[in-house]
Amino acid sequence: MKNPLKVKNLSVAYEKQEVLKNVTFEIPEGKLIGIIGPNGAGKSTLIKSILGIVPSLTGEVEIYGKPYKEQRKLIGYVPQRESVDWDFPTDVLDVVTMGRYGHLGWFKFPRHQEKKIALDCLKQVGMENFSDRQISQLSGGQQQRVFLARALAQDAQLYFMDEPFAGVDAMTEKTIISLLKHLKDQGKTVLVVHHDLNTVKEYFDWIILLNEEIIMIGETEKVFTKEYLQKTYGGKLMVFDSN
Amino acid sequence: MNLFKTRKKMYLGFLLLGLIGIVGCAANDINDRPLAGDRSDGADETDSQDPLMITTTIGMIADVVANIGQEHVEVEALMGPGVDPHYYIATQGDIRKLEEADIVFYNGLYLEEGMEDILEQLGEQQPVIAVTQHIDKNVLLMDEEDLDEFDPHVWFNVKHWITVAETILESLIEHDEINADAYSANAESYISELAALHEEIIEQIASIPREQRFLVTAHDAFGYFGEAYDIEVIGLQGLNTASEYGAKDVTDLRDFLIENEISTVFLESSVPPRGIEAVIEGARSLGHEIEIGGELFSDAMGEVGTEEGTYIGMIRYNVETIVAALQQ
Amino acid sequence: MWSQLILDPNLRWILIGSMFLGLSSGIIGCFAYLRKQSLLGDAVAHSTLPGVALAFMFTGSRAIFGLLIGALCTSLLATFLISYITRQTRLKQDATLGVVLSIFFSIGMLLLTIIQQSSVGNQSGLDRFLFGQSASMIHSDVNTIMMISFILIITCTLFFKEFKLLCFDPEFAKELGFPVVLLDQLIMFLIVVAVVIGIQIVGVVLIVALLITPAVAARYWTDKLHIMLVISAIFGMISGATGTLISSNISNLPTGPVVVLIAVCLFVFSLLFAPKQGLIFKALSRRKVKEKNNNGLDHVARVEVKR
Repeated sequence: MKNPLKVKNLSVAYEKQEVLKNVTFEIPEGKLIGIIGPNGAGKSTLIKSILGIVPSLTGEVEIYGKPYKEQRKLIGYVPQRESVDWDFPTDVLDVVTMGRYGHLGWFKFPRHQEKKIALDCLKQVGMENFSDRQISQLSGGQQQRVFLARALAQDAQLYFMDEPFAGVDAMTEKTIISLLKHLKDQGKTVLVVHHDLNTVKEYFDWIILLNEEIIMIGETEKVFTKEYLQKTYGGKLMVFDSN
Repeated sequence: MNLFKTRKKMYLGFLLLGLIGIVGCAANDINDRPLAGDRSDGADETDSQDPLMITTTIGMIADVVANIGQEHVEVEALMGPGVDPHYYIATQGDIRKLEEADIVFYNGLYLEEGMEDILEQLGEQQPVIAVTQHIDKNVLLMDEEDLDEFDPHVWFNVKHWITVAETILESLIEHDEINADAYSANAESYISELAALHEEIIEQIASIPREQRFLVTAHDAFGYFGEAYDIEVIGLQGLNTASEYGAKDVTDLRDFLIENEISTVFLESSVPPRGIEAVIEGARSLGHEIEIGGELFSDAMGEVGTEEGTYIGMIRYNVETIVAALQQ
Repeated sequence: MWSQLILDPNLRWILIGSMFLGLSSGIIGCFAYLRKQSLLGDAVAHSTLPGVALAFMFTGSRAIFGLLIGALCTSLLATFLISYITRQTRLKQDATLGVVLSIFFSIGMLLLTIIQQSSVGNQSGLDRFLFGQSASMIHSDVNTIMMISFILIITCTLFFKEFKLLCFDPEFAKELGFPVVLLDQLIMFLIVVAVVIGIQIVGVVLIVALLITPAVAARYWTDKLHIMLVISAIFGMISGATGTLISSNISNLPTGPVVVLIAVCLFVFSLLFAPKQGLIFKALSRRKVKEKNNNGLDHVARVEVKR
C-alpha cells in the first residue's frame, strides 16, 4: 500500500536564492495535513514544485509510488485566489468545469455530463445558485468556494490547497473545513498550506513544519509543540500556554 | 546553474552586437561604391589641378554635370537607379559627400523633400545650387491638388533641361574660371545634342495616332512630357509618391481606362507596381484587358554604365518604349 | 452604395480582404488583450521590418509572399526572444517588449537604408509596410488572407478551452498537465500571423489598434468569453467593411486609418452605451439608487422631526 505522496531531496531556487533545501518527507493516506511556517518559508513553493508548476533543482516526487506526471488524474489543486484575474469574462459554472479539462484531454468540449459534475461540486460547497454568476461579482469567500468546487471536479485522491482559509468569512471557513473532513471520510488525503496557528489543532491530523527545510513532520499532537514552533518561526513567535 | 544563465545572456548579447556590426559593415561597403555619373579618369598625375568635387541629388543632374565638366570634375549622385527622390533621406555617408563637395547641385521645387533641411543648412556654408532656379516660373506646371506647389519633374521637357545645363555651366565657370573655355565648349556640344533630342521626341510622339496617345503611369511624373510633346498624361498617384492613393483613385483610373478604351499602361522603375497592377486586375475582371507597355524611368535613371544610365539615353529609352507600345 | 461595393471588383476585393482581416484581428486580439499582451502585437508588428528587408535582399523581388515569409520569421524570432528573456531574466514583459521592439525595428530601418542606397531598382515600397496599403489589393491577396483567416478561426475553435484555461489560470493549466509553454507559443504565433497579414492593410504603426480595440469594445457587451470572441470578430469585420466603404468614396484617403477610426468609434459607443457596463447605464442606475436612498432618508427625517 503506497503512500499518496513521497518527496525526496527536493530543492528549489529562485533568482539565485535557495528557497527550499533538500526537502524529504512522506505522508500517509486519509489524513488532513497542514503545512505550517512563517512568511517566505517556501510553503507555496513546496506545493508548486511538487506539482511541476515551478521548476526544481533536484528532487524526486512520487504519487502513490509513481512519478507525478503519470498520476495527474489522481491529484486536485486549489491555488491561491490572487493567482487569477477575477475580471476574466467567465461564470462560476465555467470555472468549475475547468476542473474536468484534465479528464477531457485535448480539444474535446465539455458537454452536459461535465457540466452536471460541475454543478454537483457546486452543491457540495453550497454555491449551486451561483452557477451563472460572473466571477467578478463574487466575494472572497465565494471565490474560494468556487476554486474548491473546481478541485472537487477533478475527482482526485490527493488534494493540494494553497491557503484556502485566507481572508474568508466565518461561514465559508466552516463550509470548507466540513468539506475537507468529508473528503477525509472518503479516504482521500488533503495537504493544506495554512497560516492561522489558532486553528491548526482543530483542523489537521498531521502537520509539516517548514522553513526552507523540514523542521518536523508528524501527528499534530506530537509536532505542534512550543519547542518545534519556536524552531520553525525562529523566535518571532509568542506562544501562550493555553491548552 | 546561475553561471550558466549568465553565460547564455552573454552569448545573446554578443549575437545581437555581432548582428549590428555585420549590418553596419555592409552599410559602409555600399556607401563606398561609386554611383552613377562618375566620370573621373582615375589618378592623373599630369593634371595641373585637382578636379572639382561635385555632389548632386538625382542622377539626371549628375549626368549633365559630367557631360559639361568632363575630366575637370568628379561628380557623384546620391540617389542611384530606382531610388525615389520624394522619399529619400540623407544618411551620414551622404552628408559627408555633400560637405566634401565644392558644389552641390539639386533639383529644387521640392523634389528632394526629405533633404530640405540639410540642403538649407549646407547652403549657408558652401555653394548649394537649385539647378531649376532659372526656369521661368510662368512656364512651370502646378500641382493639381495643391495649388501652392510646383511640379518638380522638369527634366521630362528637354528644353527645360537645356536651361538647367546653362545654369550648371554658369556655376562651374564661377567656381573654376581656369577651365571656363573647356566648360563652354562641352556645354555647347551637349546642349545641341539635347536640342536635337527635343525635336526627335516631338516627331516620334506625333507618329502615335491621336486616339492612342495616352500615357498612363504610376504617378504624375510626366506632366512636362505631356505638355511639351503633345500626349495626354494620367497618373494613379499625385505628384508626390509620398501621398497615398486610396481605393477611389484605383477605381477612378480603372474606369477612365475602360471608358476611353486605353489598353496600355506603364510601370515606373522607382515606384512599386502594386497600384497599377490592381487597376489592371480590376479592369480584367470587368472584361477589359490592359497590357503593360513597359517600365519607364521617372524619378531615376537606369543602371550605371548602361545607355539608360545617362540622361539622354534614359529619355530616349522612355520615348522608344512609349512609341512602340502605343503604336499598336 | 453597398451594391457598388460588391459589384465593383477592386472594391469587392478590398472589402472582403479588410473584413477577414478585421475578423482575424478581432478573434486573436481577445486573447492578446486578456493575457495583458496587447503591446505584444505592437512589438510583433515592428519586428517584421527586418524580415521584410532581408527577404527583399535575398529574393531581390517585391513579391508579397516572400516578404510575408520574411516578416513571419523575424517576428516569430522576436516572440521567442520576448518569452525567453521574460522567463529567464528579471526583466518584466513590458520592458522586454520595449527592448526587443526597438532592436528589431532599428535593424529593420538600417537594412532599409542599405537597400535604399543600393543600385537595385524597384525597392521603394518596402516602407509601405509601415503604413499599409489596402487600396491595391488584388484577388490573390484576398485568397491568401481568407485562407489564413480560416486557419486561425479553426485553430482558435479547436483550442478554445485550452486557450481559455491558459488565459485564466496558467498555474492550474500546468497542474492539469497541459503544455503551457507550447500553448503560449501557439497563441503568440497566431498573433504574429494576424499581425503580418494585417500589416498589409493598416501598416505596422496601426495594426496594434486593430488587434486590441475590437476586443476591448466587445468586453463591454458580455461576460462570456465565447460571446466576446464573436462580438469582437463582428466589430473587426464592421470596421473593415465600413472603412472600405468610406475610403472608396473619397479620393486620396487611405483605407487603413479609416478602418482603425471606425474601430475606435465602436469602442467609444460600447464604452458609453453598453448595457450593464457602459458609462451611461452606470450613471443612470446610480441615479436610481440615489433616488431610492433619498426617498428613504426623507422618510427617516420626517419621523425624527415628529419626535
